[in-house]
Amino acid sequence: MAEAAPLWAVPVLPVALCLGAVAAAAFDAVVGGGSGRPGAGVLAAASAPLREGLRLLAQQRRTTPSADTALGRVGLGLVPVAAVLAAAVVPWGFVQVADPAVGIVWFNAMEVLAWAAVWLAGWGPNSVLSLIGGYRFLAQGLAYELPHMFALTTAGLGAESLRVSEVVGAQQGLWFAVWMPAAFAVYLLSAVAMSFWGPFGYPLGGDVAGGAVAEYSGVDRLLLLGGRWLLLTATAAFSVPLFLGGGRGPLLPGWGWTLLKTAAVLAVLILARRMLPVLRAERYMEFAWMVLVPLTLVQALFVAVVVLNR
Amino acid sequence: MDLIGALPRLAARRPPVLLVTMPGATRERLAVEAELTGRGWPSAPGPAAAAGLVVAGRAGGAQWLGDLWNGMPRPRAYVAVAHAGDAPHALDLLGRLLSSGREGDAPRAVSAGAPRGAPGQGGGDGPDHHPGAPGSGARETPGDEDGRSGRGGQEGRDGRGQARGQGRGQGQGRKQGRALGLGLGQGRGQGQGQGQGHGGHRGGVAGLPMAGRADDRDGLRLDRLHLPLGPALADWPAGLVLDVALQGDVLQSAEAHPWEAAPAGRYPFWGEPWLRAAGGEAVTRGAAERRRCASHLDSVGRFLAVSGWPRPAARARRLRDRLLQGAAAGELAPEVLRLTRGVARSRTLRWLTRGLGELPAGRARELGVTGPALAADGDVHARLRVWLGEIERSVHGMDDPRALTGVDGPRGRLDGPRPPSRLLLAALLPLLPGAEFACARLILASFDPDPDEFAGAGHG
Amino acid sequence: MLDNTVFSVLSAVAVGSGVMVFRFDSMARATYALLLSLLCVGGLLVLLGLDYLGVVIVLMMTVEMAVMGVFMVMYMMNPAGLMPMSILHNRKGAAVVCAVVFLLMALGIVLAPWPRRAGTADEDPTKALGESLMGPQMLTMMTLGFALFSTIVATVLLATHRGRYDRLGDDLRARRADDPVPGGVGR
Repeated sequence: MAEAAPLWAVPVLPVALCLGAVAAAAFDAVVGGGSGRPGAGVLAAASAPLREGLRLLAQQRRTTPSADTALGRVGLGLVPVAAVLAAAVVPWGFVQVADPAVGIVWFNAMEVLAWAAVWLAGWGPNSVLSLIGGYRFLAQGLAYELPHMFALTTAGLGAESLRVSEVVGAQQGLWFAVWMPAAFAVYLLSAVAMSFWGPFGYPLGGDVAGGAVAEYSGVDRLLLLGGRWLLLTATAAFSVPLFLGGGRGPLLPGWGWTLLKTAAVLAVLILARRMLPVLRAERYMEFAWMVLVPLTLVQALFVAVVVLNR
Repeated sequence: MDLIGALPRLAARRPPVLLVTMPGATRERLAVEAELTGRGWPSAPGPAAAAGLVVAGRAGGAQWLGDLWNGMPRPRAYVAVAHAGDAPHALDLLGRLLSSGREGDAPRAVSAGAPRGAPGQGGGDGPDHHPGAPGSGARETPGDEDGRSGRGGQEGRDGRGQARGQGRGQGQGRKQGRALGLGLGQGRGQGQGQGQGHGGHRGGVAGLPMAGRADDRDGLRLDRLHLPLGPALADWPAGLVLDVALQGDVLQSAEAHPWEAAPAGRYPFWGEPWLRAAGGEAVTRGAAERRRCASHLDSVGRFLAVSGWPRPAARARRLRDRLLQGAAAGELAPEVLRLTRGVARSRTLRWLTRGLGELPAGRARELGVTGPALAADGDVHARLRVWLGEIERSVHGMDDPRALTGVDGPRGRLDGPRPPSRLLLAALLPLLPGAEFACARLILASFDPDPDEFAGAGHG
Repeated sequence: MLDNTVFSVLSAVAVGSGVMVFRFDSMARATYALLLSLLCVGGLLVLLGLDYLGVVIVLMMTVEMAVMGVFMVMYMMNPAGLMPMSILHNRKGAAVVCAVVFLLMALGIVLAPWPRRAGTADEDPTKALGESLMGPQMLTMMTLGFALFSTIVATVLLATHRGRYDRLGDDLRARRADDPVPGGVGR
């Protein structure tokens, strides 16, 4: 079970995660991830996500005919909740909300819960385009999840433990990102995919007028779009203890390095997004099954052989 | 601090705008889009995301517009842009309306108060059901067909062939359903007519006929949903409505719905220089090349937006706006080339679009298709490459002062018996069945037929 | 005390949502009610100290229920479950079977001669589980895994509409597979 963590960390976690998500969204707006923004200053662009959030809070909620409102709202609410629960096992460099013996599996389980929730959100409004959005994500799930799971497993294998703090401890000399680069790359790729963001924003794609979020306005919309940023921030933060040595580094304290590394991973993801169009399901799925799954398996085999000979 | 009072003003600062283009209003659409870019206002992909509804062109009495409006969450505001020059003024007005909490002169508040979809009413045969079958006599606006749009599903494996959707209709529901059924696929497909009932259970699908099952491409018998796509979808040819049947997200059939005619007495915007020259007016080749370049940039921008690459899409649209505002060719050329080369070089885009919507030159010639789609002789990506190539060529020909003599418009020869966009539409429709929704959108965007041209010949 | 409360709440929710599976008239609701029930079971396992099994149940069951959603859309493109439906079929037969099975299991619990507990729980139950599966039972598990996997492959082979010869030609030499919708690798 989880070790005792200071109680104050529990309420701080969602707030910190939200702040991180807002900062990430602001950075995305400044570098023009969405689209161009001539005429707007840096400050105006950076505050755009926050303003949009406030605007959505004040906006009327919208219902569609014969909708399964209850189910849709469960789905909407579950996305940010799952993101926060997943973030609970991320060490902050000096404290960790929870450090269960199966932290890695827990993180993955929460991501998968968000995945199932997106489908609910798409199913709820009783609308074709929104259903297509949710359906896309669902059908894509295994192609995203299997390489993701193998990448996570490889990190656990390298540390011979599923406990996140022990994975950090095992990177005393060498970061996992250095000697298991394939797992790290696949983790980043599938982490973005599980957050259905950027090049993997297919479930909420513009070609289906917003997909799963097409029929939602107001708070509902905020929950799903905001939840997506929370998920992305949580997965980026989790890559630090898994592959980048956690809070380890010279000069700065542990939390400083954790923050810095998380910000760097997020920045890389956001900048890379601008280079790519949305990767469509049928193309990526075959790629995932034919290339990524074997790749991660070979990587896991390599790590297993190294660990056995240690 | 008056937080509640500050919120509307906050919302009015950069409101997301749903831009709906009426047939024949390309000039107005471009004016509004340029104005939106200049202000940094985002464009909304659908009514739920929008705070402002802007109609480019003459709204007329299109029913679906009123329904679209009804589907927008408050606070919201509406303005119409009847003339391209009005765009800045209209958007100013929109901002003022939003910050003052007013809604503007809303499009015809259709169906307010009309009793509709009363419980128990027969599916799809409600009081205002328009017999939407083509050729049913009444003048059809694309909006009218939503009367028969109904969706359904049936899960009864143990009962079939019962009545078409026994009513459990919801008035409000119908109203919204229709607007979105058009623009956004509100989950209502139009019933097959032979909707299978459900034995032993209380039936009822919101008073609308149910979808039937049909074979799919893998030999399974699955639910098939019929729905109209358009005319208010984002990055969609203005005014085009496709009637499609969906299984999952795979299109099983697609046909063009009779379109609303563009107002007469106006040349289609993109073909204008060539049509004017053919009509005996003096047009320079440079002006025509400028229009061709802008037209292709518009198409490329739309294609990139559909393929989910917002940055170069926005760049293409900005360059298009600057071209149409008369920026010097020499000043724009380097930027245009940077864009076209960047897009042409993208391996990912090629990987994503390769092998989709193949139209060999032989087949295209048979269908009478001319222009880029014929020259491409291949898939979606080949057509994109032809556009990019033509953009690069025409950006250098924009200062040619000689008189225009040709008839090769941006979408093909404009002197044929049928306008090129009609031929493009006829060529692309057979490519859609069997394609997944996203692929179908890409195929359509790679042909980019211009409904403004439809009115040139034939019915419409 | 806390453990007891958590146990009661989780079991009540598990049983309650299990009942709701049969009460809901929408397939989506029924599926997710079942998921909720199974999530609670996962929670109960965590409560018993079997962290790994509990969390894996959460993970796997979520995936499974979501995959059911794929089929739901395929067979019933019916967002929001417009048509009320019941998943109860052959009520009488089902009731009889349920009652008999319940009685048998309850009798088994009551009448079985349960052994006394020998030894203490392992420090790390996950490790103990792994060793018991991969240690003495290794051969069984590998045989089982192989049998399961070949069953899956065989079923897919029998059910598939188009095999590799349709896709890649009779000599399997086609450069790109002939698919209705081309994939990303061409194989």
